[in-house]
Amino acid sequence: MGANENNSAKPRARPIVRLGIFLISHSNIVSVVCFTAGVVALLLLPILAKNTYISENALMPGSANNMLSTHHVSDANKFIKDLTDLEFRSGSSPIESQKLIAHYMSALDAEVTFHKFYPQFNHFHPLHFFTSPDSDIISENATCSSFGINTFGIIRAPRGDGKEAIVLVTPYNPNKVGLGEALSLGIAYSVFSLLSHVTWLAKDIVWLVADSQYGEYSAVAAWLREYQAPAFRRVDIVNSETCNESSTFNELGQDLYLDGKLYGGFRRAGTMAAALVIKVAEQGNQYEDSLNIYAEASNGQMPNLDLINIVNYLAVHKQGLRIKVKKMWSLLGSKWLNTLGVIFESLGRIARSLNPQWKFGIPATEYVEGAATLASSLYYQGLGVPTGPHGAFRDYQVDAITLEISPKVSLTKMIRRNEFILRGGRLIEGVIRSINNLLEKFHQSFFLYLLTSPSKFVSVGVYMISFALLVAPLPIVAAYLHSNASNSTPQNTSALEVDASHKSWKWLNSARKVLVIHLWGVVVSLLPFFLCQVPNTTPTTNFILWGSLSASSLLILYLILGSPIFEAAVSLHEKNKWASLKSVTISTAFIGLSLMSVINFATAEIGALLIVPICLLARPLKLDTQARSWRTLLRASCNLALGFIGFPPVAFVLLKGAFEDFYGINVSDYWNWLESLWAWNSATYLYIGVVHLPCWALCINILFHPC
Amino acid sequence: MKKKKVQWFWSWVIGSVILRLILLYFPKNLNLSSRPEVSTPLTSLRRLAEGYWLKQSSVSPYAGSMYHGSPLLLTLLGPLTVTRVEGQPDHLLCSLVFVIADVICAMLIRAAGEKLQVAYSSRLQFLGLHNLSENSELLPSGDFAALVYLWNPFTIVACVGLSTSAIENLMVVLSLYGACSRLTPLAAFGWVMATHLSLYPAILIIPVILLLGYGPDAPPRKLFWQRKNLDVGNSTSSDSCSEEEAKNQLKMAHVFSWRLVVLFLFWTLLWSSYVLVLCGIYVQQYGGLQELFKRTYGFILTIQDLSPNIGVLWYFFAEVFDFFRNFFLIVFHGNILLMIAPLALRLNHRPCFLAFVYILISSMLKSYPSVGDSALYLGLLGLFAYELKDMQFSFFLFSGYVGVSLLSPVMHNLWIWRGTGNANFYFATAIAYACFQIILVVESVSAMLNHDRMLTKLYTAKLQNVKS
Repeated sequence: MGANENNSAKPRARPIVRLGIFLISHSNIVSVVCFTAGVVALLLLPILAKNTYISENALMPGSANNMLSTHHVSDANKFIKDLTDLEFRSGSSPIESQKLIAHYMSALDAEVTFHKFYPQFNHFHPLHFFTSPDSDIISENATCSSFGINTFGIIRAPRGDGKEAIVLVTPYNPNKVGLGEALSLGIAYSVFSLLSHVTWLAKDIVWLVADSQYGEYSAVAAWLREYQAPAFRRVDIVNSETCNESSTFNELGQDLYLDGKLYGGFRRAGTMAAALVIKVAEQGNQYEDSLNIYAEASNGQMPNLDLINIVNYLAVHKQGLRIKVKKMWSLLGSKWLNTLGVIFESLGRIARSLNPQWKFGIPATEYVEGAATLASSLYYQGLGVPTGPHGAFRDYQVDAITLEISPKVSLTKMIRRNEFILRGGRLIEGVIRSINNLLEKFHQSFFLYLLTSPSKFVSVGVYMISFALLVAPLPIVAAYLHSNASNSTPQNTSALEVDASHKSWKWLNSARKVLVIHLWGVVVSLLPFFLCQVPNTTPTTNFILWGSLSASSLLILYLILGSPIFEAAVSLHEKNKWASLKSVTISTAFIGLSLMSVINFATAEIGALLIVPICLLARPLKLDTQARSWRTLLRASCNLALGFIGFPPVAFVLLKGAFEDFYGINVSDYWNWLESLWAWNSATYLYIGVVHLPCWALCINILFHPC
Repeated sequence: MKKKKVQWFWSWVIGSVILRLILLYFPKNLNLSSRPEVSTPLTSLRRLAEGYWLKQSSVSPYAGSMYHGSPLLLTLLGPLTVTRVEGQPDHLLCSLVFVIADVICAMLIRAAGEKLQVAYSSRLQFLGLHNLSENSELLPSGDFAALVYLWNPFTIVACVGLSTSAIENLMVVLSLYGACSRLTPLAAFGWVMATHLSLYPAILIIPVILLLGYGPDAPPRKLFWQRKNLDVGNSTSSDSCSEEEAKNQLKMAHVFSWRLVVLFLFWTLLWSSYVLVLCGIYVQQYGGLQELFKRTYGFILTIQDLSPNIGVLWYFFAEVFDFFRNFFLIVFHGNILLMIAPLALRLNHRPCFLAFVYILISSMLKSYPSVGDSALYLGLLGLFAYELKDMQFSFFLFSGYVGVSLLSPVMHNLWIWRGTGNANFYFATAIAYACFQIILVVESVSAMLNHDRMLTKLYTAKLQNVKS
């Protein structure tokens, strides 16, 4: 090996240099070891998870007795009854229910305001990925006829200075109020009525009843945009001019204006300390009342762990609710995971028998549950799509979660309903009381974590290890290939001296190729933007159109690449060309993955599992088949299989099949999936287009390299 | 020997201009002019517009610590910031000025590169190293450097991001070009303007004087001494004509032409007094030149603005205790000055390369660095493509630059917008960037010295052959 010879020739290099040379010269072993270690570390994460703890001392959850009494519950019941009666009354417009809510709010001495908004549907904006959440978002498509009305009330804190606020959100659809939504409104109302007269309140309380007829997220996002970044722009003026203020909205205010309790304009409380979205699931859980927590916001951002901790603590220890986070259900029954759990359990037992202080084993069932939760945590963070209206808050650095309470049995019975409201209300009250104690923003606990159960988490310091081990071989192999490619210059220097003397810059050719392929990746990721402009297309035709356009653009780029403009510096070292191409490819994959791990860790982790093996193994099939030993043939077949898996649509179908089932999968699913990604401005979409796809294409290019 | 050119040179140039014009149409979406990497307090056009507005309303343009640039830029670019073309993005005219400045700069780099190359290959011919001389002519380093400058993403970003560093770079290159082609007024003008605009190019006076005194980059001077001795030894063989030429060459390589240097100093004096008078007239109602110096050079030297940028000083001076501040200010600026003398001694036969190293060091240690500075030295790096062909770690450096320039905005986003990171995240990329620049300095200088050693070795081997 060239590096070794150099080393022996020179007297003595420094230890760190020698270590580097050692690693680089043994890159094969190093990469195998690192990659397997990375996979093992990923599988160990459920075992390494720590129990959650309340990090911020000021929170003190559950230290005060609940003040929510049956009195508040009966008020809430009356409210629910009025609301549901309104539904049955014939000929009532959706406005009536909003009026009713506003009326109830103002009866509690809250400042009530209506917020009218035009729902903005998510649109693909290729340039808006990493810009600030500014108010420049263009709302051309807002039509005058479709608008929603958010109702919100503010209770001013008797002890506060009006600079901070806690937000309660209850999404509801005024056109069709279901029992679940009515109950969630009821819970919020009971808490609100309690908070309107307590003395300990130090932060203002905002109760937002979000009009969810155009989607929960868009209503909350519109309200937040108005709250945080009011727009004084032309679009608004145009809107209010062209759609002359609809009579319904004006009529809405009439009654309350007469009372003198509706406030004009958009009322504000202070900066938001936290937000809770309350929902009640319609169909119950068989066993007991349970609470689902949804926390993932856009691009895998999570709220501060302390918020989840206090909810978890209060729900489990005070209200006796069974708390749940999302799981990959298909993983629960899988055999291999169970076997793995058993192995880890027995390993842990052996370790404990050796030294009682080593306690890392967990029961196999717990391991499987943890792994399933971890997988779903990774998946939903990696997707980069918010799992509920709480996602809108994260864009303004406000910590928020969605609490979905599901009752044990149907809630038609009154006594059962009262108990349910009491429990839910007390939970919310406890959480609010705890947040009320907070002196600063949530900052003490983690922002970057994965959950393996509601009370267990893996922090960034632990999960980064597995990722670092996965990608560590990339720079080493790149350095190995690079040093090999530049050391082995052909001996016949007479042929072309200049070229031979350029050994240090030989990678430029490969870099050019890699750059062109990445540009192709950018083109491919921009194509849907134009495809969407074409009206009346089905997902399948879109997908086919997209695929064919991508292929043709690749062809065009290849033709340009082969044209005389680029012939200027064609090198004669065909032999080592694939090696240098591979080294540049691997470097770009490394840069791309590292970047992605900062933006959205989960995507990078899943992406690394898919792309790293093919990047490391890729080798021209021609060379492998010529050698004809079982090892090379095995490698060639591995390469083919990995190359097949690495193709994004195939990877999607396989993953979907593995976690759900293959039944009824077609190509349009892939298009829909990607459409949802870009509609939510997920960085994962960019990753697939700009990093994964080009790297995969380059690896395939290396596989079929004519050498 | 046919001279090889970069094919399609002009179409590449036009392509780069078109790319800039296309990008100019998305100023809102790209939002580059508010990026800390692109616009520093010194180079931001928004601040310049603010300064111009203050001046229009009869307030000192330096009031309120908004503008810290030169008054001359205010008079040049100020009127352009307020003229709007209907239906076009704001600041369109200014951006066109920057595009033109970039193109002119590239052309000057190209011209300077051609001059350097001709001079260098004739020196090599003179030394009898014909083989090398042919090789060095094979690589059109001037064209190459111009294209590197024009297509460098840093240059494009700085140009589209409306940073005035395009004009500062133009002045630096103007001075180098003037010195290469021995036009003393031009060189003096470039140097005075560059110093006036951003202060740090002041240290370029050493390479410019060397360039005027000794002529463009050449192999080590020792070799010419040996050649001279050799000529004295056997001055019979060659014919008289080439002998004459050789004598001339020898003279060129040795004699430090004081005449040009004195001329240069004279012109410098003239231009600087001219600039000072102009500035004095402009700011006379607002505190005079003293106020001007305090607000521009004082602002640069005392590092008052600690908003994040890609340098390392903002973080350091945000952390340092106030009573150590002056001490560390001296230390950090002394750092640049410390390296001037040794480098000048070691590289005095290659003044252009010396200028490149100075620019690189000052853009690493300056108080408000931006990507525009990197664009300049990366462009100049192309001029030495032939000499640096054996530079080590080129691929590593390339990947590092790509990685850092992508990572830096992401870290900034994580810190400012998402709130999940903190200042250390962003500072980490700044440190990594500084490290890569250090590696670039070290590797390029050592590659250049190795090249010199190689020349010496070849030449002594040749001498041995001749003697034996």
